[in-house]
Amino acid sequence: MKRKAGGPIVMLLICLYLVIPLVFTFLYAVSGDWSGLLPRGITFRYYAEIFSDPAFLLSLLRTLVISVLPVVLCTIFVLLAMFVITAYHPWMDRYMQILCTIPYAIQGVIIAISVLALYANAPPPLGNRILMLTATYCVVALPYIYQGIKNSLNSVNAGCLIEAAQILGASKFAAFFRVIVPNIMPGVTVSAMLSVSILFGDFVVVNTLAGNYYQTAQVYLYHALFRSGQLSSAIVIALFGLTLLISLCVFFLKRRGAPGGMR
Amino acid sequence: MAYIEIKRLCKSFHKTQVLRDTELTIEKGRFVTLLGPSGCGKSTLLRCIAGLETPTSGSILLDGEDITRLEPQKRSIGMVFQQYSLFPNMTVWENIAFGLKLKKLPKEQIAEEIADILRVVEMTGKEKQYPSQLSGGQQQRVALARSIVLKPKVLLLDEPLSAIDAKLRRSLQSRIREIHKELNLTSVFVTHDQDEAMVMSDVIHLLNDGRIEQSGTPTELYTSPRTRFAAGFIGHYNLLSAADFCAATRGLYEGTSDIAVRPETVALSAEPLPDEPDAYLFRAAVADSVSHGNVLRYTLLANGCKLHADVLYRDAAVFENGAEICARVKKADCRPISG
Repeated sequence: MKRKAGGPIVMLLICLYLVIPLVFTFLYAVSGDWSGLLPRGITFRYYAEIFSDPAFLLSLLRTLVISVLPVVLCTIFVLLAMFVITAYHPWMDRYMQILCTIPYAIQGVIIAISVLALYANAPPPLGNRILMLTATYCVVALPYIYQGIKNSLNSVNAGCLIEAAQILGASKFAAFFRVIVPNIMPGVTVSAMLSVSILFGDFVVVNTLAGNYYQTAQVYLYHALFRSGQLSSAIVIALFGLTLLISLCVFFLKRRGAPGGMR
Repeated sequence: MAYIEIKRLCKSFHKTQVLRDTELTIEKGRFVTLLGPSGCGKSTLLRCIAGLETPTSGSILLDGEDITRLEPQKRSIGMVFQQYSLFPNMTVWENIAFGLKLKKLPKEQIAEEIADILRVVEMTGKEKQYPSQLSGGQQQRVALARSIVLKPKVLLLDEPLSAIDAKLRRSLQSRIREIHKELNLTSVFVTHDQDEAMVMSDVIHLLNDGRIEQSGTPTELYTSPRTRFAAGFIGHYNLLSAADFCAATRGLYEGTSDIAVRPETVALSAEPLPDEPDAYLFRAAVADSVSHGNVLRYTLLANGCKLHADVLYRDAAVFENGAEICARVKKADCRPISG
């Protein structure tokens, strides 16, 4: 009996540990004056303020764009690279793996400062801050995208399927993109959306590279910290809600499983 | 006239040579089996014919055309893989339609061809199912349909039945053979199972260590193996050195060649057998007996020489272990072997 109750109790404690800060942040964002032990009154004026502020909505849109675009680009590049490796040069896979996992070990601030130092005075388009930011985010997302594609390729036995498609008349390129890619798309989509949620929450890289050139939601939040604690709490909860939505999409896609009737 | 010619084909993987000057010819319309133990090069040879491996040297001719360096998709060859390799994201219909769509055939023709081929492989009604919803045997039939719907010049089958249970395998063996005859295909089948090869083939090419050890019809290969390897791989031959056989027959055998004797040609009797000028008679003791369904296999000891004898249950009395019996082997059934 004791052993049975222990597991759920631990889970409950962990959930409380994770949820309580969010709950209190939300309460702080909707509270009236909170100078005593408990808040006086409920108000949604901070939410009204941020959602009626064009700057906030624009920053959300910019965040979405700068999170999605690098992930899409990175996915295309990695898929093309994995096609070459799978179809022609399997021996290159371990070198690809090393290259793609290096960004795991490099802090965001190091990447950002290195990129800035190297390209800040470069001629256009290399010196363009948005381009720098997009390319840097491609590198940040690279390990997640690569691992997702790699795991998906391993699970579908890509080499055998390519051979079967070739025998049926397809070139290696057609075989990879007409047979393999549709099969691995759920796995690729999951890793892409995870990458989007990681980039969505980034502040260091975007603030260092783009700052006021391209104000994202995280930069907006940073500025709001100096204006009002309740305002910034409202922004935090709004951003959390959006990230939760992305995560739910990932969860939903994962539950749909592989194609081919395997639900 | 050879339809497929393999000329001095060599293939190496890094430092390991898998095919060594392999030569063989295949006539049109024949069902040919490449038989051999694991690692002998039979699958590599098949993959070279398909274009999935590039030979190190040598040439492959198909209907007079050199296809050695031709890409697989241009060879007009069908192939059924051991792991089926059906596309998991496509239904049965879509899997079979894949090659037809690449040929840019009209939709109506595609639908007609698929309906016909599903009838041939007895899979009508399964069009909308995915491979994960099919049994192993059904998947293999879809893989077969997907290959033959394109009317290939040659159909290659790489151990397609090895992952299937024995009873279903026998059923599929005869079905593949029927389809081969019905569609007048030229088929090349790879297996390590000599029983399967015997059942299905017009011609068997026995491979050993990257070379063709012996070629012939199943009967020729079974009754007349030329080498120790062939005799050891096909059937359950007794492989006896000249000295051992001489000892078993107590000097009656005076030859110097090693001998291969099929166990079913060893006649046994509890009573003494009459002398025959064209047979070897000798006495032996029953060391063991093992039932193989309708066949009883005896292990005999004849003057220190061990050999096996197979008898049908209905033909012979059962001998107890330790019993002294008379054995007879016709001289014509003692095949001299080399190697």
